[in-house]
Amino acid sequence: MLFNSYPFIFLFLPIVLLGYFALGRTGQPAPVIWLALASLLFYAVSNWQFVILLLASIAFNYLIGLLLISRRLSGRLRFCVLTIGVAGDLLALGTFKYAGFLAANLNALLSTGFHLDILLPVGISFYTFTQIAFLVDAYRGRVAHYALPHYALFVTYFPHLIAGPILHHKDMIPQFEDAATKRPNAHLILCGLIIFAIGLFKKTCLADGIQPLVALAFGSAAPTFDQAWIGALAYTFQLYFDFSGYSDMAIGISLMFGVFLPVNFNSPYKATSIVEFWRRWHITLSQFLRDYLYIPLGGNRHGRVLRTLNLMVTMLLGGLWHGAAWTFVAWGALHGAYLCINHAWTRFGPRSTSRATTAAGFVLTFLSVVVAWVFFRADSMATAVTVLSKMTDPTQLTFGHTEMIGLGQVALYAAIAWLAPNTQAIMGYDHDRRVVGESVGAWLQRPGFIYAGAAALAFGILGIQQHSEFIYFRF
Amino acid sequence: MSTAVRKLVHLIGFSALLIALAAALNFAVDPLQLLRPARFYQPMYSNDTRMQNAGLIRSEDFDTVFMGTSLAIHFRQSDIDRILGVRSLKLAMTGSNSREQSFVLAAALARGPSRIIWQMDDWIFRDAPDIDHNDSFPADLYRKNAKGVAGYLLSGAMARESLWTLARAAPPLRNLATRLTTDSLMKFAIPRVDDIHVLAPDFDVAQDYNAARARASFAYLTDPSRSAYLAEGYAFEAMVRNFERDAVDLIARHPDVAFDIYFPPYSILQFVALRDASPATLKIVYDFTGYVSRRLATFPNARLHDFRGARQITHDLANYRDAIHHSPAIDLKVLSYLADGTYLVDRTAPTAPLRWLQAQVEAYRPETLAQ
Repeated sequence: MLFNSYPFIFLFLPIVLLGYFALGRTGQPAPVIWLALASLLFYAVSNWQFVILLLASIAFNYLIGLLLISRRLSGRLRFCVLTIGVAGDLLALGTFKYAGFLAANLNALLSTGFHLDILLPVGISFYTFTQIAFLVDAYRGRVAHYALPHYALFVTYFPHLIAGPILHHKDMIPQFEDAATKRPNAHLILCGLIIFAIGLFKKTCLADGIQPLVALAFGSAAPTFDQAWIGALAYTFQLYFDFSGYSDMAIGISLMFGVFLPVNFNSPYKATSIVEFWRRWHITLSQFLRDYLYIPLGGNRHGRVLRTLNLMVTMLLGGLWHGAAWTFVAWGALHGAYLCINHAWTRFGPRSTSRATTAAGFVLTFLSVVVAWVFFRADSMATAVTVLSKMTDPTQLTFGHTEMIGLGQVALYAAIAWLAPNTQAIMGYDHDRRVVGESVGAWLQRPGFIYAGAAALAFGILGIQQHSEFIYFRF
Repeated sequence: MSTAVRKLVHLIGFSALLIALAAALNFAVDPLQLLRPARFYQPMYSNDTRMQNAGLIRSEDFDTVFMGTSLAIHFRQSDIDRILGVRSLKLAMTGSNSREQSFVLAAALARGPSRIIWQMDDWIFRDAPDIDHNDSFPADLYRKNAKGVAGYLLSGAMARESLWTLARAAPPLRNLATRLTTDSLMKFAIPRVDDIHVLAPDFDVAQDYNAARARASFAYLTDPSRSAYLAEGYAFEAMVRNFERDAVDLIARHPDVAFDIYFPPYSILQFVALRDASPATLKIVYDFTGYVSRRLATFPNARLHDFRGARQITHDLANYRDAIHHSPAIDLKVLSYLADGTYLVDRTAPTAPLRWLQAQVEAYRPETLAQ
């Protein structure tokens, strides 16, 4: 089921909210079970064939987690259990996501004839990572015993199940256990609805609105210089508004249930360096990769050479996490290289905090990100190289009516991404402090604010197209 | 009532009001002419034919339907009317499959046309998603059921078109709005039904349709790294099943409607590409179109015109922009051949044109390409 669909907005969400708060009066665990069942229904509506896989994954990880938490096992045995758990998760992920890719590469290398046509279960990358983090923390002794319904809800919780944010058990399960979240809170529902409305507007009006321009660069015909740039920039903004819109909607929906989800975006295109970009873009994935891959690999603790290597490995695997294709590997490699260069510049480059340096950093960062998105979007390496080569060849220009209007649209989107405050700033959403609306108290009191929120909701609903999936559903 | 609850009520209430206003605007203006033909304003049309056809079927008067894929998309209704002496409605859809075409034809047949002209080829009968699982096809608009009408009325894009339509109707804004109406900005940007998907008067046909492009397409198709795509979706049994479901069923259910079905004049290069790069696919094409020819011959209300062997067209590569898509000049030839029955298939020998085609394909030598 899609957040940006009439059945979700007018049927599923109101019913689940009503049921949750009605059952909340009966105490634990009824509302938690209700929400977990609703989440499974949410998943099953469009992915029924993978519900068993999801349930099996939950059962497997919960059992492994129980073994690790029980502490009756010796150190070596515990490590073996952890290895089995993580390997099991990676095996499932690898089978469904990477087996076809592996077969295609073997065929290319060895002229073999393997053919695997495996459907990708939606959300598998997200719920696998979420649970691997749980197992690793259980092994490290940082996990208390959780009841099965709470654990199941932590994994399946429908606001995040399909495309994140990637949740942490220590953040979520205590909120599910908290009795206060089972009572309706009009302030949280109001703020949640406005955040949802902003996200819906971003998705249906902004992301879907600019999507046709992307075909200028990535369509069937080879683009000219202006078309390649307009298409690449259009994708840059489409992806941001699509994914951050989804994240806003997830946060808003969850807030209506009284549960604070972590922020996933913090105006990433305002970053003045690649390091800063990764602190602002898909924040929960960056944190996961840092805590469960980069640091265990050694992080920056063993000198600059190993740090560079660890960064590259982390970003390559981060790229591969997005999809089983060489284009994603190239995207990860590019960002890994960017980060290494950024760190080297910070260490060896001149220290300057002038406006000109900041502006140069901003422009360079944005352009680097746009170039990397070309690999992220392209169907193949050949397409990516073609688009990039066209972006460097100003001798071929079209600049017709479509391109002029497209350029204007891209400029408008850039202005929004660069100049407008982000959702958490507008709403005063603070995940760490579990508050929303406080820092904008006076603003929130103004009728205009409510009417603006209502307009965002109305335009968001009116912008719903027949079927428009989120880009990150594919990952 | 607490402040937050009051605000929540205001938010939901105002939001509902805005949505209701947009729906009322769409209902009143009805830019797609789904609910009623336009009377009080100059209607405009869209090249998004999968959507536009739902409105055309309800708002246009016609006795003949013209259906097909991109090979039939550039035909002018006025040419069809003039050459065939009919009142036609073109409902061709780029890249459409037999499920979509059959569904649209069934909707159009409910308006009682006496004739269907159907550009048909093997390609449209490959397996395709069910019409309700086809994300690019608004089936409920055709059904005009509650879901379809609600989706139409609750569409912000339609509300924008409605507002624009009103602007074009208002004298002070008319000139400016008309000048700004382009398909880059608006969905409905075509002033006449006859102009839907036709090539613009200033379109350089010779630059787009020429032998060099046809040859380049042949080279592309036969490139070993891509030739596997030629076979994609081709399975004889599935294509026969789809043909029976989407074409035969429709023909059998409408014995009073004349079905003029034609196999379009692909360039000879398409078949030669299959011969050289994917012979198994060519065999499926032959077997399948042979089956179609024999099957159609059994229906008194169906006539098949097979233009694939029209050598004077198919061997002149200047007529093509790739291996299959022919120029507007050939559109007119197709219509005149349909009118005089030059390539009408004899019911007693339905596969004779197929054999001519096979002979031509076998005889065609690659060195001819160099000429």
